[in-house]
Amino acid sequence: MTTQNPNPSSNPSSNPSSAHEDQQLAPTPGQRVTTLLKRTDVKRTLIFGIFWTAVFVVLGLYAYPKWMPEVMSTDMKAMERIIVGFTVISAPIAGLVLGIATQALTNRHKGNTPPPDGPAIRTNGPVVIVWSIVSGIFCLIAVVWGLVELNTFANAATIDERTALHVEVTGSQWVWSFKYPDLGVQSDKLMLPLDRPVFFDVTSVDVNHSFWPLQLGIKVDANRLQTTHINTTPDKLGRIDVKCAELCGLYHAYMETTGEVMTTADFDNWVTTNGGHIA
Amino acid sequence: MGTGVVIGIIFAFAAYYALRPNADTTNFYNQQNKALLAAMFAWSIGFLIGIGAFIGPFRWLIGKDLTAEEQLYLAGDGQGIKRYFKYCTDHKVVGIQYLVGVMAMLAVGGTMAMMIRTSLAVPGGHFIGATIYNSLVGLHGITMIVAMIIVATGPFGNYIMPIMIGARDMAFPRLNALSWWVLFTAIPVLCSAWFLGGIPTGWTAYAPLSVQAGPGMNAFIATIIIFAISTAVAGMNITATVVTMRAKGMKWNRVPIFVIGSTMSVALAIPAFPTFMLAMVQTATDRVYNTGFYDANVGGSGWLYAHLFWIMGHPEVYVILLPGIAILMEIAPVFVRKPLFSYNAAVMGFAGIAGLSVLVWAHHMYISGWTPTLNGPFMVTTEMISVPTGLLFLVMLGTIWRGKPWMKLPMLGLFAVIWNLLIGGITGIYLSDVPADNYLHGSMYVTAHFHYTLMGAALTGAVSGLAYWFPKMTGRMLNEKAGYTAFWFTQIGFQILFLGMFIAGAEGQPRRVVSFASMYKYYNMISTGGAYLVGTGFIILLWAVIHSWRKGDIAPQNPWGAKTLEWTVPYPVPLENFDETPVITSDPYGYGRGN
Repeated sequence: MTTQNPNPSSNPSSNPSSAHEDQQLAPTPGQRVTTLLKRTDVKRTLIFGIFWTAVFVVLGLYAYPKWMPEVMSTDMKAMERIIVGFTVISAPIAGLVLGIATQALTNRHKGNTPPPDGPAIRTNGPVVIVWSIVSGIFCLIAVVWGLVELNTFANAATIDERTALHVEVTGSQWVWSFKYPDLGVQSDKLMLPLDRPVFFDVTSVDVNHSFWPLQLGIKVDANRLQTTHINTTPDKLGRIDVKCAELCGLYHAYMETTGEVMTTADFDNWVTTNGGHIA
Repeated sequence: MGTGVVIGIIFAFAAYYALRPNADTTNFYNQQNKALLAAMFAWSIGFLIGIGAFIGPFRWLIGKDLTAEEQLYLAGDGQGIKRYFKYCTDHKVVGIQYLVGVMAMLAVGGTMAMMIRTSLAVPGGHFIGATIYNSLVGLHGITMIVAMIIVATGPFGNYIMPIMIGARDMAFPRLNALSWWVLFTAIPVLCSAWFLGGIPTGWTAYAPLSVQAGPGMNAFIATIIIFAISTAVAGMNITATVVTMRAKGMKWNRVPIFVIGSTMSVALAIPAFPTFMLAMVQTATDRVYNTGFYDANVGGSGWLYAHLFWIMGHPEVYVILLPGIAILMEIAPVFVRKPLFSYNAAVMGFAGIAGLSVLVWAHHMYISGWTPTLNGPFMVTTEMISVPTGLLFLVMLGTIWRGKPWMKLPMLGLFAVIWNLLIGGITGIYLSDVPADNYLHGSMYVTAHFHYTLMGAALTGAVSGLAYWFPKMTGRMLNEKAGYTAFWFTQIGFQILFLGMFIAGAEGQPRRVVSFASMYKYYNMISTGGAYLVGTGFIILLWAVIHSWRKGDIAPQNPWGAKTLEWTVPYPVPLENFDETPVITSDPYGYGRGN
């Protein structure tokens, strides 16, 4: 066999089977959809698809926010929005993929001999094109959203520096220490005032660490003899957990500390109590 | 093989003895590193000399090329089971050697994983302590990565692929045997890490921690350098074979999709792995000669290591993924009796992934602080990979659409992979987004993501391949009941294990930690439960493979009714595969009504 047969159309409604073709009009798009929906495999795919879409929507809207820590900065809020948003956006994709797969499972062939031949569909040009375009659109949405958020961070960096609080973060095997150069305070706990932009200058004295204050939604590596920078604005009172996110040797797991976002009054109090001066 | 081991050990001891640090040595650790590395390479070279790897080139060098009888001898003609323990050029023997080797590595890596999860069942890390735990994490990682790189292209790329393209053997049969035995020498080197104090780094071996590390790190370095040589040889061999040795009439659009996917995978590996080798060579020279490539004190940078590593590391995960998916695309048409849906889309999907994958590496470095302005472009390239990946889904789904899947063992994996790769892919998109990665990087979420893709998708695809090609490689059918049981144990266990891990990661648990805060204990306990199901499943699979290999039902020549060339030859497959190499007149997907 050296030539391929022309592909039989995968849409039965476009193949009029009667001999009186010249007297039958081609089906309208509405009729094609109705005929399509009458097919068992399409109906099942739709039902399973709706089910799986719902699972992912619930995952995004309900489950992720429940699992993630307190949102205590705009960066963390943006981050959570992205995770929730991407999950909900991906829900119909998951629905389609899992719907088709589940449907195929319900149609499985049982027995020890091969199943009867299926239709010899080698390709379907419109499906491939539409699939590529739609996946390209989803990709574009993700890219644009991400770039917009990145741009927001970059803008925040230039606007707030003059009024910001500077904290020098030093990672060493296996402790974090925080120095507030403008205030003359050093601490092993990360205390921050509410609603004031804070700029972190992060470095390490030995190997790579990674500075991760969970609830603030930021993270940056600590490298020896380099200073990396990250900034945010805590906007909710409460406890912060600071962990190390880069394997740095034996006690990496224990390289954590806590901190707190407190009112400006409490923060000033803390500064003076610890031997510093209010800027 | 015995000669190889003896000579290898002799070389290793000689090298160590010659270079060992003694009481007068200044720079003790540098010298110890030098001695250990030299010993490890000496072992490898000595073993290869002993097993006769260099006979061919040596005889050519002295002007007495191997005769035809000698070449037949090298191909294992008439040597029975002994040829599996020798330097044998028959690609089928090399395929079986790789299969057994991969299974051994998975067993060792899997045992390490069980120890890790056992330790993580409760917080505190008291089961094995931090030193052993950290070593387990790093060594489990590298063992599994090496195993996964070769899990599909090793056994099936060697045994099945040449028959599938109508060739009598590979383009370079002696190099084929070399690639296996070089890999073999790396295995004891890797294991020696345990006797040298383990490694403090993950498998990524970041500098400066890797330069600071104890003697065990040398084992890691030597393993990678040796493995990179094996992979380069194998990759080049597979590519040359597929490009030049296809049977008459097998034009590119008639090549089975497994061959396409595997070839693209190894073609991607060829430029990628040398950078890993280079990164390790520089780590070694930093450790031995204080070259300071990664030492900021003298003008070097840890970021240099990160770049070199990830320029390999990202293509490498697609090297792992592509063959597994290609196997499933090969299997699906056979078991739904329909053609592969849109062969061209499959090729474009593989090509798009392979091409883009060299442009995305710094998404592993978003939070490293190296150059935040470039995070944006890398985010764009990374998210673009979702489009060719989507094409792979389209091909798989389009193939099963309107078919009646015959749910024999090979077909189970397809459905598991559709689920696993969907979750792995979507979570990958979250990680590719820079602001989201600011939170997720370095957490257990990442670990769960890559296990879904590398283990849930690629390994499942390879195991499906084993079930599919078992009749052709062993002459027997893989026990169906045991296979089904293993499938359910591993896949259900896998979901419990890693979905639990996603949650712990979203809650904020960092990765590679021996101990964690008590707020994570619930999901860690659940994950460990899942791990034990996975372990049980793999033990059942191992039993099934061994039992079926020895006593399984004898397989007919073409039990699945497939149309690719490997099913046209009997078992045992003749030494040169075909009496007459076939002439191809169509692609192998002519299934279905009207075809």
